[in-house]
Amino acid sequence: MMKMKYVVVLCTLVLATSCTPTKVVVPLEEGQWQIGVTQGRPQFNEGFLPVLGGYAAKGISSTKTNYGGIQFSSLFLGAVQLEAGQVATLVPQQGLNPGISYSYGAQSFMSTRDYAFRFYPEAGLNAFFQAGPHILNVSANTWVDPTWFLADFGRGQILAPSFSAGYRLRYKWFEAQLEYKILNPTREIHIPQAYVPNTSGLGGKGFFYGIAINF
Amino acid sequence: MKKFLFIALAAIALSSCADVSGALFAGGDGTYDFKNTYLDLEFHVDESKIHLLDLESGTQDTIYALYVGDFAQIATDTIIVFLHGNTPSMDSYWQTAGLFANLVNKHHYGFIMYDYRGFGWSTGRSTGAESMAADYDAVLSFLQAQGLTSDRMVVVANSLGSLPAGPAAAGGSRIPVQKLVMEVPQSTANVIMQNATGLSLPASMITSYKFDLGQNMEDYSGELLWMHGTEDDVAPIETAEAAMQKHQGTHYQEALYEGAGHGLRWDIGDEEWSKVVLDFIRH
Repeated sequence: MMKMKYVVVLCTLVLATSCTPTKVVVPLEEGQWQIGVTQGRPQFNEGFLPVLGGYAAKGISSTKTNYGGIQFSSLFLGAVQLEAGQVATLVPQQGLNPGISYSYGAQSFMSTRDYAFRFYPEAGLNAFFQAGPHILNVSANTWVDPTWFLADFGRGQILAPSFSAGYRLRYKWFEAQLEYKILNPTREIHIPQAYVPNTSGLGGKGFFYGIAINF
Repeated sequence: MKKFLFIALAAIALSSCADVSGALFAGGDGTYDFKNTYLDLEFHVDESKIHLLDLESGTQDTIYALYVGDFAQIATDTIIVFLHGNTPSMDSYWQTAGLFANLVNKHHYGFIMYDYRGFGWSTGRSTGAESMAADYDAVLSFLQAQGLTSDRMVVVANSLGSLPAGPAAAGGSRIPVQKLVMEVPQSTANVIMQNATGLSLPASMITSYKFDLGQNMEDYSGELLWMHGTEDDVAPIETAEAAMQKHQGTHYQEALYEGAGHGLRWDIGDEEWSKVVLDFIRH
C-alpha cells in the first residue's frame, strides 16, 4: 500500500529536527579538539532511521567547551541545519557524587528553496559520572520555538524538550557515544501512514550513536 | 563567526535539494482487472459500460482513466469525477466505482476515476502541484469534449485526491467546480512538516510542493461536503477541520464520525456513506 521510500523520507523529518544527539556532556580539556560524526536512529514502524550529522568541539578552558555541528540529513533534503553552543561544568564530580554540566546554544534551519529561516535557542542540563575512560550521563534538553505562532492553524508549541541517558567511552584520541533519547514528549508526533513509537502516545524515541576523535 | 559563515555558505553550496514531494506519492503497479467478479453483488455494473481510457497529460505522459457509464450520458447526466487516495493504482477503488455506479439505481450517474502519473499504468512521475493539475486537466478536457457542464459535475476527492481537488475547486478547473466532496482530506503541506517535527518549520525545508487546502477552500465559491472520522491517523481531523471550515461558498455541510478512521467508508458502512453523499449531490 505504501512505498518504503515514502515512510523513510517523511520520518526523516522527525529527526532532522529534534533528533540531534547531545554533543558533549563532560567538557573537554583546555585546547583539546573533538571532531565527530553522529547517527540518530529514531524509531519508526518496526525499524529506525539513519540521521547523520557531524560536529566539532573545542575546550576553551578546563570547564567550558564550544561546539558547532551540521545535520547532513537535513542538507540532503534541502535545508541547511546548523547548530552551535557551549557546554560548561556547573558542579564538578566529587568522588561518587556525579558532576553537573549545562549547555546552551541554538539550532538554525534555512530552506535552500525559498530561504525560509527558523532559529531555535536550546538549553540543557547533564548529570554525569566519569570513571577513567567511562562516562555515564542523564540529560534533559529543550529547544525553544520563538516562532511557534507561525505554525499553521495555531498548533505551535514554545518548548520542544527531550530526555536522554547515555554512555561514552573517552579514551585518549578516541570517543564512542551511545545515547537513548526520548524526543518531544509534550505533543503527538504524527507522520501520515507511519507509526512513530512513542511515550504514552507522545513524542518519539530512539538510539543515537557517535564516534569522534580527540586531538 | 567567520568560520560559522563559511560552514553555512558551504552547506548551501553542497545542499542536494532533494525534494520529498515525489516520495509523497505511493504510486505502483495496477492490473485494471475491472470485473463484476470482484464487486459485491449490489455493486455489479453492466460490463459493457466499463471503459478504460488513455489520456494525454502534459506533453509527455499518458494517464489512464476508468469511465463507468454510457459516453452519451456525459452530455446529459450528472457525472462523478473521483480523485483517489494514495494507493498504488485505482484498482483499490473498483468497489468505490461500483458503489457510485449504483447510487440511486444502476448507472444513474456516470463515474470516472483516473490514475495520477506513476500510479497504475499511467506513465511518468507525480511530483507535485503541476503534475497533479495536469492530470486532472487531462480528464476534464476529455469530459468537456464529451459535453460535460459545470452544473452536472460532482468532484469527489479522497485523501490524496484532495490535493489536486483543492486548487481545482479554487478556480483551477476548466469546468468550474460547483459541488465538491472532500473525504478525509489533508490540510496543508506545512501541517505535515509541523506534525512530524513538533516545530514551526515550513514545508519548504524539504519540498517545493506547497499545498494549502485552507486557502483553496477560502477561494472556492461552490458547495462543499466534508467527511471525516475522529480517529483518522493519516489526515488528523483537527487540521482538516481548520482547513475545511475556511470555506465561504454557497453551501457547507460536514459529516463527522466518532471513532472512524482514515478508511471512512469501511468504518461507517456503505449505506450511511451513500446516503450522505447522495443527499449532498441532490442538494
